[in-house]
Amino acid sequence: MNIIEIQNLSHRFDDGSYGIKNINLTIQKGSFVVITGPNGSGKTTLMRHLNGLLHPSAGAVKLAGMPVSEDVVKARQFVGMMFQDADSQIVGETVYEDVAFGPENLSLERVEIKRRVADALNTAGLTEFSEHRPHLLSGGEKRRLAIAGILAMNPQVIAFDEPFASLDYPGVRQVLRHILALHQSGRTILIVTHDLEKVIAHADRLILMHNGQIVKDDLPHNILPEVEKFGVRQPCDARLGMELRSWLN
Amino acid sequence: MAELTLFSYRSGHSGLHRIDVRFKILGLLFISMVSLNVRVLSLTILSSLLIILIIDCRLQFKSFLREIRYFLILMLIILIAHALSTKGTMVFQLYFLSISMHGLYEGALICWRLFLVVLVGLLFVSTTRPSEIKAAVEWFLNPIPFVSGKRLATMLSLVMRFIPVILDQTRETAAAQKARCVENRKNPVYRLIRLGIPLIRRTFERADKLAVAMEARCYTENRTDPELSATRKDWMALVVMILICGLVVSI
Repeated sequence: MNIIEIQNLSHRFDDGSYGIKNINLTIQKGSFVVITGPNGSGKTTLMRHLNGLLHPSAGAVKLAGMPVSEDVVKARQFVGMMFQDADSQIVGETVYEDVAFGPENLSLERVEIKRRVADALNTAGLTEFSEHRPHLLSGGEKRRLAIAGILAMNPQVIAFDEPFASLDYPGVRQVLRHILALHQSGRTILIVTHDLEKVIAHADRLILMHNGQIVKDDLPHNILPEVEKFGVRQPCDARLGMELRSWLN
Repeated sequence: MAELTLFSYRSGHSGLHRIDVRFKILGLLFISMVSLNVRVLSLTILSSLLIILIIDCRLQFKSFLREIRYFLILMLIILIAHALSTKGTMVFQLYFLSISMHGLYEGALICWRLFLVVLVGLLFVSTTRPSEIKAAVEWFLNPIPFVSGKRLATMLSLVMRFIPVILDQTRETAAAQKARCVENRKNPVYRLIRLGIPLIRRTFERADKLAVAMEARCYTENRTDPELSATRKDWMALVVMILICGLVVSI
């Protein structure tokens, strides 16, 4: 079943340049997709169309058959989004309040909010931090808080924009472990990154973007030998002709 | 990283921690207003009451004095200004400067009153969660026509959330400029501009990112209402406080 369908999607900026042009893409439910490309290739612009943060100049995005433009709030609930700068998306003064922000926006009952927040904090391993102030958390903990905030809205698809940017090795492993757990729980995972090294071993599909267009879309091992032509570094294992290994091993 | 200060919420189980935030705000207003209009005996009673509450909340008085050291300097300036500008029995005279007994006494009273107001503020902030303050602001503003209590409460909460982040940003930008020898430039206006412009730009960028992140999490003004519940205990606390305020005013 296609959970995301993108048809002839284009986005034109105010200066007349195209962020993305004629994108056609379908993503199956439960898949683990990595979207890569150099800076300015249109990865983030594409991602922001999935839940109506950006509106297309042409074309349409459908989530489980429903056009995003029909019900933007539902789309935002359906596609949870984690941004590159975890600090900037923290809204609450405590960890608990930040996770509760989304469910409160959905006007849920207080009892349901408490249940969802407790579940999300537990899944993200942040239960003992619930009364902490978010800006005092470490980089990895802030990413986990962002994940918990998304989980509390119970999305079907979770899109991560450069989830490993400026994280240390333990931080990368923590976040990666959580992403894999979310995938195993049946959610569709989309990861937008130019740093394939840390995540590609787990992906079942790789999409390569360049100048606002999809130039390759296939199994990772079919595309990896060509990514450097488009300004993306090949993972070490692929360069050495070895099988891709997880950062968790 | 911005550090925690005494002027921030500290979890606890004291009597003040358990009182509904709306009653605490009323208490803050009453005590602040009363303390600005009373004399020595009443101020002594109010100070004793606040000291008992500070002990009950397990706040460290030494840390408090350290936190308000700049405010103490301001109070000293107020005291000196009052002592120099009020006429009365002379205590000390040097050339044209003369300090009067009456001026010293009135200045000390003003400082004492201001100190009590700060003390009440400290007790309120350190025993009340920011989310409770936000909820109370929303509750108090909701009946006012043409004012969106929810929007103002969200703005208040974002300001509280972002002050430490902006302070961090200031420190980071200042450190980066020191690393490039900005201290060799003696003109303070030049340095202020060089610090201010990137800081404002980055603050706006952050605000922009935050707005997008809030949209992604379905931000709306029609959100689940905050939890506030007044019990008999809160009403009793309010009555006791009004009685105390009445007593100190009548003395």
